[in-house]
Amino acid sequence: MSTKTILVTGGGGVGKTTLSAALGVASARRGLRTLVITVDPAKRLADALGVEELGTEPSPHPDEPGLWAAMLDASASWTAIALRHADPKVAESLVANRFFQAATTHFPASQSYAAAEEATRFIDGRAWEVVIVDTPPSAGGIEFFTAPRQMTELVGGRLLRWLTGGRLPGRRFLFDRTARPALKIADQVLGAGLLEEVAAFLMDLRTTYDGVAARSREIEARLKEAATVVVTTADPSPIREAVRFYRELPELADRPDAVVFNRSLPEDWIGATPGNTEPAAMENLLRWGRESERQRDFRNQFAERYSTEFTVVPWRSHPPTDRDALADLIETSTGFDLRALLPR
Amino acid sequence: MTQLVVVSGKGGVGKSAVASATALLAHRQGAKVLALSMVGTGGGLASHLGAGALSFEPAEVFPGLHALTIDRSKALIEYLREQIGLPPFATFPPVIRAFDALAAAAPAVREIVTIGKVLWEVKRGHWDFVVADGPPTGQIGSFLRAPTSISELVTGGRIADQAEWMSDTLASQNTLIRLVTLPEELPMSETQEMLEWFEANPVVSRIEVVANRVMPELVLDKIPGGRVGDAALLHIEIQSDQRVWLERHPPNEELSFLFGIATSEAVASHLADQMEAW
Repeated sequence: MSTKTILVTGGGGVGKTTLSAALGVASARRGLRTLVITVDPAKRLADALGVEELGTEPSPHPDEPGLWAAMLDASASWTAIALRHADPKVAESLVANRFFQAATTHFPASQSYAAAEEATRFIDGRAWEVVIVDTPPSAGGIEFFTAPRQMTELVGGRLLRWLTGGRLPGRRFLFDRTARPALKIADQVLGAGLLEEVAAFLMDLRTTYDGVAARSREIEARLKEAATVVVTTADPSPIREAVRFYRELPELADRPDAVVFNRSLPEDWIGATPGNTEPAAMENLLRWGRESERQRDFRNQFAERYSTEFTVVPWRSHPPTDRDALADLIETSTGFDLRALLPR
Repeated sequence: MTQLVVVSGKGGVGKSAVASATALLAHRQGAKVLALSMVGTGGGLASHLGAGALSFEPAEVFPGLHALTIDRSKALIEYLREQIGLPPFATFPPVIRAFDALAAAAPAVREIVTIGKVLWEVKRGHWDFVVADGPPTGQIGSFLRAPTSISELVTGGRIADQAEWMSDTLASQNTLIRLVTLPEELPMSETQEMLEWFEANPVVSRIEVVANRVMPELVLDKIPGGRVGDAALLHIEIQSDQRVWLERHPPNEELSFLFGIATSEAVASHLADQMEAW
């Protein structure tokens, strides 16, 4: 079974998870075995699909034949990476290192990397015809795509190579530092011993390098084959985030396969003329009409600038909470039909 | 004393717009202002202020208002020279590369450089008012806690010495953390989590929550038909949902939704008008 992967990207708060769920329902209702994965720790996907909770392994939806869902646990990621790619003894010493704790909580790419690794596992499992990935929102989702490289960089040990002059060292080198005045400067700044401790950590981490590097290449290859959907609202800030990905990573994707303008207002609200209704209601239509006009102009400018088609999804006051409402979101959208991304 | 406002919030709530409006208002009131972006390229801040692309050197947007974006490598060199007091020869490229790489493994180092730049601009006494367009709520904690984390991580050395005045500046009455939120479930719960984080990590003394894009009330005798009615229904539903969140977690201040304001500059200027009335 060949698998079509759809990566749903976009900044925070634009309705990415809801749209991923909607696309999942639409896909399953076309008779395609579909998996929707989210990395969002919030319960949004579970809420949207109307299920109590989602596990880290895909589970079938109780009432929607053909639809599966999972929520990736990104927090356990580093421990999983260490266990998967290092030998057990080294993994033990890694997890115990205090920098491991600091790095796990702070190195944001590690969570995205773990998510990408897990997603790739499901794509390669070939158990689904369609895999829809609701990517993490950080930096417009770009991190999901750069994470494999960043991880390779980190465990490849730029710092370590510098400390050791390029050779992969034994621990002994750390104490043979007479020829390295820069280390003395570093000690003055950081306090004695810190660099040594970091280096010891990096040396342990280095043993995972071959595994991580090989896996990263596979992950990048999968991401490259996938279709990308940008979800945005008609506002400059989410658009700026969204186009960053295509500008900065043209080798992975040079343009989105679809752009979705979520929370769009009806165009027939534009340019209303005062009638004989209650003034407050009329004034309300006029201000929303101005907002609708701004949105329309914004969409058209975007389309002209990037010469791309787009999908317009209407603004709902409440996010859909059942599958029919989700399916309706796709049905009532206008412009580019997102279902064209699904296999025939 | 230089006033410092650090603006944060969940992605997409209008952080850069509020940061820019904060800077504009201070400028209107006659202060000499520096606006700086702590993460990314500063694109949001630049467009809201109507400035060109920002760089690490403060650029004059208009007389009395400067803006910059923190480039981590340049901030690191400046930090090592100005604050740590290393001689220029000691900041030659290999050392910089090493520190840069170190930042990946000992992340407090990365964050101390960024927050250190913000606090350095406050300490210099060159500005009356410094506004930082900060990282999102998910990350701001590690920046604000960086001086404390460094003190725990590094027991000696000059970085540890510098951490002390940084902690003091953050905790001072002249520093305000402005958390921007929207009256919706996810931004509101993220703001509550952030407030709980501040309870557990009392690194600052002044925190303010600002709810953005608040809909005005609409009272109608009856809902008419057609598009007038559709617009009324959408408005009333959004507004009543918002009211629930605003009553559950009352913010310190509110900013109204701006209908049909097309340019980022106009958005910032309208928000500054609203802030003037606080």
